[in-house]
Amino acid sequence: MSYVTLPYPFEPVEAPPEYRGKPEIDPKKCIGCGACSRACPPDAIRVEDDLVSGVRRIILDVSRCIRCARCEEVCPTGAIKLTREFELATPSKEDLLQIVEMRLARCSICGKYVGRTVRQIEKAKAVLSPLPRDRLEELLRVMTLCEDCRKRRVAQALQGVPTALLKVWGEVHG
Amino acid sequence: MGKETISVDYVEKELREALGKLVLETRRVADNQLIVVVPRSEVAEVAKRILERFREFEAHLSTHVATDERLINGHFVATYWISVNAERGDVWIGIRAYVPPSDSKVPSLTPQYPGANWYEREARDLLGIEPVGHPDPRRLVVPDDLPKNFHPLRKEVKYYEKVFTEPSFEFKKPRKYEIVVPFGPYHVALDEPAHFRLYVKGEEIVDVDYRGFYNHRGIEKLAESRLTYNQIPFIAERICGICGFTHSTAYCQAVETAAKIEVPDRARYIRTIMLEIERIHSHLLWIGVACHLVGFDTGFMHAWRIRERIMWLAERLSGNRKTYGMNLVGGVRRDILEYRKKLILDALRELRKEYKQFVDMLVSTKTFIKRCEGVGVLPRDKAQAYGTVGPTARGSGRRIDVRKDHPYAAYKELDFRVPVYSEGDVLARAMVRIEEVLESIWIIEQALDKLPGGHLLADVLEVPPHQEALGYTEAPRGENVHYVRTGHYNRVYRWRVRASTYNNLPAVPEMLRGYTVADAPLIIASIDPCYSCTERVVIIDVRSGEKRVLSEEEFNALSRKSRGLGR
Repeated sequence: MSYVTLPYPFEPVEAPPEYRGKPEIDPKKCIGCGACSRACPPDAIRVEDDLVSGVRRIILDVSRCIRCARCEEVCPTGAIKLTREFELATPSKEDLLQIVEMRLARCSICGKYVGRTVRQIEKAKAVLSPLPRDRLEELLRVMTLCEDCRKRRVAQALQGVPTALLKVWGEVHG
Repeated sequence: MGKETISVDYVEKELREALGKLVLETRRVADNQLIVVVPRSEVAEVAKRILERFREFEAHLSTHVATDERLINGHFVATYWISVNAERGDVWIGIRAYVPPSDSKVPSLTPQYPGANWYEREARDLLGIEPVGHPDPRRLVVPDDLPKNFHPLRKEVKYYEKVFTEPSFEFKKPRKYEIVVPFGPYHVALDEPAHFRLYVKGEEIVDVDYRGFYNHRGIEKLAESRLTYNQIPFIAERICGICGFTHSTAYCQAVETAAKIEVPDRARYIRTIMLEIERIHSHLLWIGVACHLVGFDTGFMHAWRIRERIMWLAERLSGNRKTYGMNLVGGVRRDILEYRKKLILDALRELRKEYKQFVDMLVSTKTFIKRCEGVGVLPRDKAQAYGTVGPTARGSGRRIDVRKDHPYAAYKELDFRVPVYSEGDVLARAMVRIEEVLESIWIIEQALDKLPGGHLLADVLEVPPHQEALGYTEAPRGENVHYVRTGHYNRVYRWRVRASTYNNLPAVPEMLRGYTVADAPLIIASIDPCYSCTERVVIIDVRSGEKRVLSEEEFNALSRKSRGLGR
């Protein structure tokens, strides 16, 4: 009859295989795209870019996490997974942070850091590889430009186009 | 039963004929949901007439939605949603009035229909829509010290805005070497805060007052300000610690209806299974608490022992004992795989056996029956006047159940019985729940047997803006209604949650009057309020004017002592 009362915590209890416990990021697989942080309902995952030192930080705060596993669902590389760990009591909230750091890519024209990681661009390359070579190179060139250089590039491309035409184009495209 | 049923078309035609010029516009927002726009001055009158017209159809005020649409059409909008029940037609009627901000007043429905009391006070608190002629001028949802003319749900108020005000009550100043330890109304020993004031003559309760909403967290504002469609199911699930899944289902159904998303069959069945698992654990929890309150602690222990099996099952199916996290707009996220089917069937087989033994023991226990019988009677007419729902209504003879009256998920394809008792006492409410557990087991078994194949989640590409709809479920405590108006940028424009206790709690004073203080914990608990500890009571003797606050311990002890005292 007493199958309900367990001697926990004197004897350990193992969570069932389906259990949703503390999430963990595999730093080897993470590409720093931030999809998890967009899906996360309680903002437990933050993304911070340091454009001076060229580092992106993915900060996972398990103390805010509600174990919904949306991050696991949206991760394109399977880097974030929920474990079966549930004993998280700690005297310091710092223990519940996981910070993954990643290198940001540099702009291929001016050399400044851009808002994308090196691994994100590698991943994009792999995904886009079936495209024709010239199209792929064109896309990769755009991808590695910083915001300023990208605007400059558009402006240059539009030089020489008659103003009247630009106006029409602007009206059509808002 | 062969009784007359009605359709939305019929209702639309009849209302146009009966109300004539009062109908400014009708709008069909879903197959079973009709909005009737009426002049502002007539909204209470029209609502009253519709409630009376469909009285034999067990119509009641299901929810009231106030929205700030000043950015769209320059008005506040107040909509009284009335549901037609008793399997007499799947119809929801929304009576809508546009309220100009310069004169934000509507006539109050409360004097004619007490069930509108809280709804109208909430609309006044959150949006500043003044119900003219409302008998209770006090605030309901927002604290008393919030500045006047500050209405949190108005669109110009930011969700992170903080209004610092001085509390309006005074405390004694601490003397030297003294420190103050704040203690309550968030009492550490109680699960959730709520405050009943019982006015007594000796032992007899003559009047009751309630102040609550200390737990109002403003999640509707949070949702419309910064959460996306697929983030809301997770906060919806956390509205309640017992019946969360029913809230996330109702929310998802509201968005799905508004955006015309077809949910895959398999997802509808999986939702049904999880909803019934939740009902079983919720009812077992309640039966345990009821046993405890009448001093039958053996029953309490057994009920919770049996319940544990269901908690473990839910953990294997969803990854957590309580917060299943399985709903998204368009379907569910976890499949019921073959091995999980077996887990369910094994657990249910054991559960049914143990549960039947337990019920046999419970109904033959004199203390339990004597304490419940004839106590806290809610007559049928009162049950309808307050719009009570769920087991509270069914214990008073109202034959209503959203699963039958407005079928959702897979309930239309499944066979089950709705237990109804007409006595209206605590025992009737208990028996409804006791029988529903067995029905739930039967529903799950059928759903598993019929479980169709296919996808779990519909492809949701875009939710069109400014569509509106209701989503509804039969929670363990009764009808549960969510309203959604879709917005831009992947966000809702308005999300209105109405949990079942919102309709049941205002009827509690009716149940308490004339009974003794010792019965109060059981009577209050008999509606299964969505907070389990309402036992923090101020007792005021109307003869001497003397006040005394009973602690939870004293109150429960008093309750346990009076076994066999049922009147």
